[in-house]
Amino acid sequence: MKKERIAIVSALRTPMARAGGKFQKIQADQLGAILFRELMMRSLVGVDKVDEVIIGNVAQPIHAANIARVIALRAGFPEATPAITVHRNCASGMESITTAVSRIYAGEGKIYVCGGVESMSNIPLVYSEKMTDLFSKLADSKTVLDKMRTMLGFKPSFIKPVVGLMSGLTDPVSGLLMGSTAEVLAQDFGISREEQDAFALRSHQKAQKAKESGRFALESMAIVYDEYEGKYLDYDDGIRESQTLAKLAVLRPFFDRKNGTVTAGNSSQITDAAAGVVLMSESEAKVRGLEPLGYLRDYAYVGLDPKRMGLGPVFATHKLFKQTGLSMDDIEIVEINEAFSAQVIACEKAFASPEFAKTHFGEDKAVGAIDPDILNVNGGAIALGHPVGMTGTRLVLTVLHELRLRKQQRGLATLCIGGGQGAALLLEVK
Amino acid sequence: MNDVQIKYFNRTMDERGIATLTFDTPDSEVNVLCFDALYELEQQITQMHDNMSIKALFIESAKEHIFIAGADIKEIKAFKNTSETVDKLRHGQEIFNQLENLPFPTVAIIDGACLGGGLELALACDYRVATNDAHTRIGLVEVSLGIIPGLGGTQRLPLLVGFSKSIELITASKRLKGDKALSLGLVDASVPSGYLGFKKEEFSKEILAGTLEAKVAKLRKGIRWYEMFAPVKMLIVKMARKEVLKQTAGHYPAPLKAIDVLEETLTMSLEEGLKIELEVFEPLATSQISKNLIELFFTSEKLKKESFSKAEAKEIKSAAVIGVGTMGSGIAWVLAYKDIPVRVGERSMHSIAQAMAKMMQSFERIKRRGRLTDREIGLKMDRVTYTIDMQGLTQTDIVIEAVNEDPAVKKKIYETLEATVSEHTIIATNTSSLEITELVKESFHPERFVGMHFFNPVQKMPLVEVIAGEKTSDETIATVVKLAKRLSKIPIKVSECAGFLVNRILMPYLNEAAKMFDEGENIEHIDELLTHFGMPMGPFTLADEVGIDIGEKVSTILYEAYGERMKPSKVLMQMTQNEWLGKKTGTGFYTHKGKDKFHNEHIHELHTNHAVLDDAPIQDRTILIMVNEAARCLEEGVVANARYLDMAMVMGTGFPAFRGGLLRYADGEGLSNVVARLKLLEEKYGERFTPVKSLVEMAENGKTFYDE
Repeated sequence: MKKERIAIVSALRTPMARAGGKFQKIQADQLGAILFRELMMRSLVGVDKVDEVIIGNVAQPIHAANIARVIALRAGFPEATPAITVHRNCASGMESITTAVSRIYAGEGKIYVCGGVESMSNIPLVYSEKMTDLFSKLADSKTVLDKMRTMLGFKPSFIKPVVGLMSGLTDPVSGLLMGSTAEVLAQDFGISREEQDAFALRSHQKAQKAKESGRFALESMAIVYDEYEGKYLDYDDGIRESQTLAKLAVLRPFFDRKNGTVTAGNSSQITDAAAGVVLMSESEAKVRGLEPLGYLRDYAYVGLDPKRMGLGPVFATHKLFKQTGLSMDDIEIVEINEAFSAQVIACEKAFASPEFAKTHFGEDKAVGAIDPDILNVNGGAIALGHPVGMTGTRLVLTVLHELRLRKQQRGLATLCIGGGQGAALLLEVK
Repeated sequence: MNDVQIKYFNRTMDERGIATLTFDTPDSEVNVLCFDALYELEQQITQMHDNMSIKALFIESAKEHIFIAGADIKEIKAFKNTSETVDKLRHGQEIFNQLENLPFPTVAIIDGACLGGGLELALACDYRVATNDAHTRIGLVEVSLGIIPGLGGTQRLPLLVGFSKSIELITASKRLKGDKALSLGLVDASVPSGYLGFKKEEFSKEILAGTLEAKVAKLRKGIRWYEMFAPVKMLIVKMARKEVLKQTAGHYPAPLKAIDVLEETLTMSLEEGLKIELEVFEPLATSQISKNLIELFFTSEKLKKESFSKAEAKEIKSAAVIGVGTMGSGIAWVLAYKDIPVRVGERSMHSIAQAMAKMMQSFERIKRRGRLTDREIGLKMDRVTYTIDMQGLTQTDIVIEAVNEDPAVKKKIYETLEATVSEHTIIATNTSSLEITELVKESFHPERFVGMHFFNPVQKMPLVEVIAGEKTSDETIATVVKLAKRLSKIPIKVSECAGFLVNRILMPYLNEAAKMFDEGENIEHIDELLTHFGMPMGPFTLADEVGIDIGEKVSTILYEAYGERMKPSKVLMQMTQNEWLGKKTGTGFYTHKGKDKFHNEHIHELHTNHAVLDDAPIQDRTILIMVNEAARCLEEGVVANARYLDMAMVMGTGFPAFRGGLLRYADGEGLSNVVARLKLLEEKYGERFTPVKSLVEMAENGKTFYDE
C-alpha cells in the first residue's frame, strides 16, 4: 500500500551557536520556547489546531522533565495540547518527525509540531559515585560524631566531577567514545588524516559561502540571547572563515592521542540550537490551502554494530531504497550528517563499494556512489555544529530549502546514530 | 433604633453556639460600611450581647473575594462641618467599642479587600483570619482620600503591629497581603481560601477549649517597650514626617495629621484616644482637599466602567508594537507585563535587542521591589517575539504603531501592515499630535484605525488618550478602551484635534513660561513657584525632560493648527539650534549631570529683556491660560466632561490631585474671579488670555464646571 506523503508546511531553526558561547545562559527549554513560539507566529496554522507537540532532545535537562511539554507551554501552545519528548540519540530530531508520521497514519491526529532542541552548553557535571555515596551516608548519620566519622572517609578525589557530555558521547556497550568509533572506520577504510582535514576544510568553506549568500537566513531566525545587555545572534557562529589545512594539521588527535587521526577540527562541533517543523498529511495541507515547503515521502531506521555506528547512513539508505524502489540516481541532494570527517568519508566509500554491498546486503551492486557535488552542499556539522537532538530536524530543513532553490525534486537526509543505528529520510518538494 | 430593618447582616448559629454574622450589602458588588449598615450592626450586637448561648462570633462577607471595601465614601464626601456630623462619627466609634466589648470572642474572616473602615471593624474583633490569595488586601487607606482612620483605626492598629509600623502603614496607605499581615501581627492566621473552612473549624474548637488566646498572643508584636521611650518616639516621628514631606511636598495634610494623632495618643486610654482621633478626623473629612481627592476617586471609578462606545469589545489575545524606541518599548513592556503576547517590529535586530534590554530593566526594577521572581519574568519575556521584516503578524489582534512622528513613514507602515495582517486586526497609532483621519486616508479599512496615545514614561503614566478618526468603528474604540484598562491604564476618549487634549492644554503652559523667560524672568524662580503650586515639576524642568526639540516640534504643530494664541516663544528654536535639547544632551534650560540639575550659566544670554515679574501673574499666566484652553476644549467637545478632563490632566501631566484637577481648581477660585483675572492678563499680554465664551457665560450665570 502506498502511503500518503507528509507535508512540512512550516519550518524554522535558530542560529547554531558554539557551546559555551552565546547561548550558554539559555537553557534548552528556553531555547525551544523561543524557536517554537516564533515558528508558530510565522506559520499559518494556529497553535490551537495542533494535535500534539513532539520534540527530540538528548541531554534532557533535570529541571525540565518531559522538556517537550515545558517548551509547548512556554511557547504558547494551549494547556490542552499534549506534548512528548522523544530520544533516538543523534536522530532525535528525526524521530520527532517520524513519530508524528506514525500517528498521522494511525489516524490519531492530523497536525503535529515537531523538532529538536539541544543545549550542549548546559549538560551538567555530575558528582562521582563515591561522592554520592558519601552524601547518602552523611544523611544517614544521626549524631554529630557520626557525621564527623563519615566525613573522615572523604577524599579530595571524590570532588572530581563526571563530565556529563563525555559520558553521553560514550557508547556504554562497546565502551568507545563516539570519536573512537570514527577511528575504527578510518582504519577499516584506510582514511588518512589529510583526507579528513581536507573534508573538514571544505565543510567550512561551503558553509561560509552559504552564510555569505544569505542561504541560511532562509531557514533561521535571529535570537536576542542576552536580554540584559541587548545582544543578539543572527548567524551560525561555528563557521571559521579563516580555517586552513595548516591550522587543521597542528591539532592533536583527541580520541587516540598516539596514533589517531580524528581531531576536534575534523569532527562535528559541540553546539546549542533548536529547529522545528509543522506537519500534516498532504491532503490536509491541500484542504487548508497551505503551500508546503516540501514533503516526507518515506523513511527508514536500522541497527548496526555500535563500534561502526558511523556507517548508519549506508544501512538506513539501503533499506529506504528497498522500500521505495528508488536508487541513488533518483536523488538530487544528499545530506549526511558530519559527525566526523572520517565517518562521512567511510560512508561515501561504502556507498560506492560493491564488496561492501556484497558483504552486508548480499547484493552484487553497490548501494550507489554519491556525486560529491550534491553531498552536504552547504557544509555540515563540522562547520555548523551538531546539537545532537536538533540535527535531524535541521537536515530536513537544509535539504528542502536547497531543493527549492535548485528547483529540484528529491533529496536524502541521513545520519548515523550513537549506539549503532542509522536513519534516512526521503524528501520531495513538488 | 429598633426600627432598623434587617438588610445588611444575616446571622446564623450552630448547635455549639458558634454564631456567624454575614455582611452582604444589597444590590452591590462590594460591601461598604454605610451608616445604615453600622446601625444594623449595632442592633445585632445588642441582641447578641445578652444571648448566653453564643460562645463565639465569626464576621464574614457574602461577597466573593471582598470582605469590606471600606466606609461609604459618598457619605464622607457629604459631611458638612456640623455638630450632627461629629455626633454621627462618635456614634460609629461607639458601635465598634460595643463590638469589641462583646462577652464572647469575635473573629473577622477576611477573604478579599479589607480596607479602611472594613479593617477598623476587623480590628475591633478579638481575632482576624485572612486568606493569602492574591485578591486579599488589608490596610488603612484613608490617607489616600485626604482623611485619617476615624473609627478607631489609629488606636487599635498600634496594639497589634506597634507604633512605628502603624505610622508606616497608615501614612503610605499600604495594602498588605495576608502573609505579610500575619508576619506583622495584624492577622492571626493566613491561609489559602480553599482551607478557610478548616481554619474556621480549628479556631472554633480552640475558642471552645479556651486555648486560642494564649496561642495568638505570641504572634502579636504590639507596641514595643522602646517605642514608648520619648527620644525613640521623637526620632520615629521625625523620620516619618521627613518621609511624608519627601513624598507629598507638604501639599497633603492627612498623613502628617495621622502621625500627630498616633504620636499624641500612644500612651492614652482608648476613650481619650478616640476623642482625639475624631477631633482630627472631622476637619479633614470636611476639607476641600479631601473632597477633591474623593471627587477624583469617583471619577476614576466612573472611568473604570466607561467604555466610550456602545459596541462590544473584541478580546485581544495578542499584540504587536511597531517601532520600539522609548515609547514603543514602554508599550511593549506593559503588554508583556500584563501577560499579553507581544510581537516587536523594528528595522534592525540591533534596535530590537536594545528594546529588549530596556524591557528587562523595567522588569528588574519590579523584581527589586520583590513583586516578581526570575521565573515569572522569564515566562513574561517568553511571550515577547520580534521581527525585522513584518513577518508573523497574521494572527495579531492589534498592532500599535509607535514610530517617529513622520506622516510619510507612518503611512508606509500602514500600507505594509494592511497587506500583512487580517482585516480584523486593529491598527492603533501612538501619535501625540497627528490626525488619524488624515493618516489613514488611503487605507482599505479606515474603521480599524485608532489613536492610542500613551504618555512618557509608559511604565508609570496611567493615562491613555483614545482618539477616533472620522471612520473609526465603535467596535475598534470599545476594544482599545478595554485593552487600555487591562493594562491598568486610564483610557479617556478625546476627539481628533491637534495635540489632542493633554498636550493641547499643556503646551500653552510651557509656552507662557518660555515667554516669561523671554521677558527676563529667572527660570528657577518660575519652576519653584509652580512646584509650590503643586505641579510635580516646573515648566522648564519638564521641557528639559521631554526634550527641547520635541517641545519645539509640537509647539509648531499646535501653532499651525490654532494660530496666534499658541505662537511659540523664540527661545525654543534658539535652543534647538544651539543643540541645547535638555536632559538628553546635558544642556537645556538647566545643565544636567546624571540625575542632578544645575543652573545653566549661559542661559541668560537668551533673555530678550530683563524684567522682574510679580509672583501672582506668574502663576496666573501659566495656570489660567491652561484653564482657558481647557474650557475651550470642553466647548468644542474634545472630551466628554470636566471630570474626565481633570482626570486626564492629573494622570497625564501630574496636575496636583489635591487641587482636584484644573477645572476643579477654577471652580474653587470662582469662575467670575477667574474671568476677571484673565481679562487683566488680556489687557497686559494680549488676546491669548481672552476668556472663552463659555467661561464668561458660566461666570455670568454663576455656574461651575462641577455640579455638586
